[in-house]
Parts: sequence; structure tokens; C-alpha cells
Amino acid sequence: MALHLKIITPMRTAVDADIHSVLVPSVQGEMEVLPDHADIIAAIDNGELVYRPVNGAPESLFVGGGFLQVEGDLVMLVTDTVLKAEEIDSSSVEEAVARAQEAYRNQSSVLSREEQTHLAAAIARQLAMLEFRRKKRA
Amino acid sequence: MASLRDIKRRIKSVRNTSQITKAMQMVASAKMRRAQELALRGRTFMSALANVLKHLQDTLSEGAKSPFLEQREKGKKLIIVVSTDRGLCGGLNSNLLKDVLQRCDAEADYLTVGVKLNSQLTRCGRNLVASFSIGDTVEEAELKPIFQFIRKGFTDGTYNRVEVIYQKFINVMVQRPELMCLLPLAPEDLLKVAEQDDIEDDTNANFLLEPSPKALLDSILPLFFGHQLVQMILEGKASEQSARMVAMKAATENAKTLIGELTLEYNKARQTQITNELLEITTAMKAME
Repeated sequence: MALHLKIITPMRTAVDADIHSVLVPSVQGEMEVLPDHADIIAAIDNGELVYRPVNGAPESLFVGGGFLQVEGDLVMLVTDTVLKAEEIDSSSVEEAVARAQEAYRNQSSVLSREEQTHLAAAIARQLAMLEFRRKKRA
Repeated sequence: MASLRDIKRRIKSVRNTSQITKAMQMVASAKMRRAQELALRGRTFMSALANVLKHLQDTLSEGAKSPFLEQREKGKKLIIVVSTDRGLCGGLNSNLLKDVLQRCDAEADYLTVGVKLNSQLTRCGRNLVASFSIGDTVEEAELKPIFQFIRKGFTDGTYNRVEVIYQKFINVMVQRPELMCLLPLAPEDLLKVAEQDDIEDDTNANFLLEPSPKALLDSILPLFFGHQLVQMILEGKASEQSARMVAMKAATENAKTLIGELTLEYNKARQTQITNELLEITTAMKAME
């Protein structure tokens, strides 16, 4: 028995495939979904997602935060960012991180609390992206 | 009968107008394709998110507590009217206005996205509290102030209900005004967005929730209502561009028929003039003999 994985972002349906298993970065740590998994709704963190398609080699993707829903054999992941390793441009991401950290340090007094958390979350995401890229290149 | 020069001048001005409408039609159809694509893509995402949220709510049933779900007695209604920034899009805005006047509370506060309906709303005695204008690309930065306004108004109890009225994109020819409740989120609305009839029957309330029900709700609700508003604005944009394209196409065609008629008239006038001249010459010759 196989699972069906759907990864949906506001821009597109990134993945729509039959799979054997999927490894997702849940906020409480990595979690693997195999066939006959209990129905679950879980929050997802920035990080690496690996799925094993029925035909072909395992694929690995970067996902931004979002939600995972397992219902029967349908695994649905709703997130705002999905990127393949080659789609991440390290230099521009590094630049963005540097800029954001600079802003975070210098202007933390001016920014409202909400803006600060927003910025911190953005930095965390970019860093996770970089980490993923580095790992893939090695 | 109008003089030759007058007719010629009219033909020229109609032709100029038709060139403009033709160009606008091209621009609108290019923009429409993009806007349509964005709107349709967004629908899948929304329906997926609504699906998750619905399951979450079923699982939580009574225990679901969040300010965004609370039904309150006190407070006013806020109505968000998604109109357009520019005109020349056929009956789109006037249809929307008609619907607003019919279906929406006169006492409520109004917020507009797109400035076109502002003056009409105030003239009809509606209380306009804010007006935003959003570019074609619908950037996150442009939307932020709107979210902040809504969130603040809703959480501090000024408003107990936030509704959105917008032109839903059905297809290029058809756009329909739709009234949706944005906040508080009601289960019926979720089902409507999820667009899946099969999920309400098997009220599968046995989902495990990670990390905790409250954390999940707190993060998914703002995401949901944010994206829902974005989706409605995108639909409004798609409707605007397609309505404009259709309107401009009709205008170009009208101009073409008008030019045809005028040319006919012009030729007729010219012929009459020639005949008259000939008559004059022959009469003069006759008189000389």
C-alpha cells in the first residue's frame, strides 16, 4: 500500500505523487509518515523534507513552516515555501540574512514586538534554507 | 447634412478612441491571464488549508477557543468592499455597489480596497473608515496595513464581525458579487471554501494534534484569514481585468461600426457635393449658350 503526498503552496501544487514514506520536520522534531499512520494534524517547521516516491529515488526539498495533515493514505502538506536545493541561491540568501540580522540588531528598539518576531522568524527560515543548501552540496 | 469636414473630423476622433480602447484591451488581456492564474492557483491552497482547519475544528469541537472564532454580541460590523482603482471596466463596480447597498448593513463601518467606490459609498450615507489601494501584483507589504487594521479592530472588540464583498471570478464573461464572512470563522464558511462535499459527512474527529491544539489554532487561524483576504483580492483583480477586457473589446467593436457608418455618410456627402458642382457647371454652360 502506498501513500499519496500532496504539497500545496499558494502559488502551485509542488508535489502530487504516490510515495512509500515521507520524513517531515515537525516543530517537535523530525517525523516519518509511513503507510497506516494514525490521522494527525501537525505544525511543520522550516527544514528538510524527504520523500520516497513509489518509482524512483528519494527526493529532498526545503519546506517553510506550515501544516501537515495525514488522513487515511492522503498526506497533505500546506506550506508557503517549497524549494529544491538547486533553486536556492546561496549568495543572495546569505546577503538577505546579513541584511536582516543587521536590521534586527540596529533597530530592535524602533521595531514593534510583532515586527521583531516576524524578522526573527524570517532570519531563522533563511538560515534553515542555507543549512539545507550546504548539506545538499556536500 | 453635416459638412464634409465635420464628418471627417468625427471619423478621425472615433478612430483615435478605438486605438486607445484596443490598446487597453490588449493590456487588460495580458494582465488578466496573470491575475486569473494567481486567483485559480490560490484556490487550491485555500481549499487545502480550509480542509485542515475543518478537521482541526471537528477534533476540537467544544474546546476550540481563539479570539478569531469568538461570536460576540457587542461591537459593530466591518464590511470590506473590494472594488477597483480604475474605471473603464464595464458594469463591474456599479453591480458591486448595487449589491452592497442591497445586502449590507447601513450602520456598519466600511473599508474599501480600491478607491473607485469611495465617493458613491459616502454619498449613500455609508460610514467609510479606511481605504486602501493595492497594485496589480498584490504585494505582502501593501496588505500588511489592512491586516493590522482588521486584526486590531477585531481583537480589541470594536468590531464583532468582518465581512468581505467582492467580485468572484467565474469566467471571463461572468463575475458575481459575493459576500463572505471573514471573521469570526464559522464552520459553514469553511466548508464552502474547502469545496469538498465529502468531508462533512465523515466527521472524522480522531486526529492526533501536534504540538498542542492551542498552538495549532493560534498559528493556523491568522494564516487562514490572511490568505482568505488575499484570495478575495486576487479574485477581485482577475474580475477587474477580465471585465475591462470585455468592455474594451465591445468599445473597439462599436468604434468600428461607427467608423463604417460615418464613412458611408462621408461618401454620400461627397457624392452629393460633386453632383451639385456638376449641376452648377452645366447650368452655367446652358446659360452661356
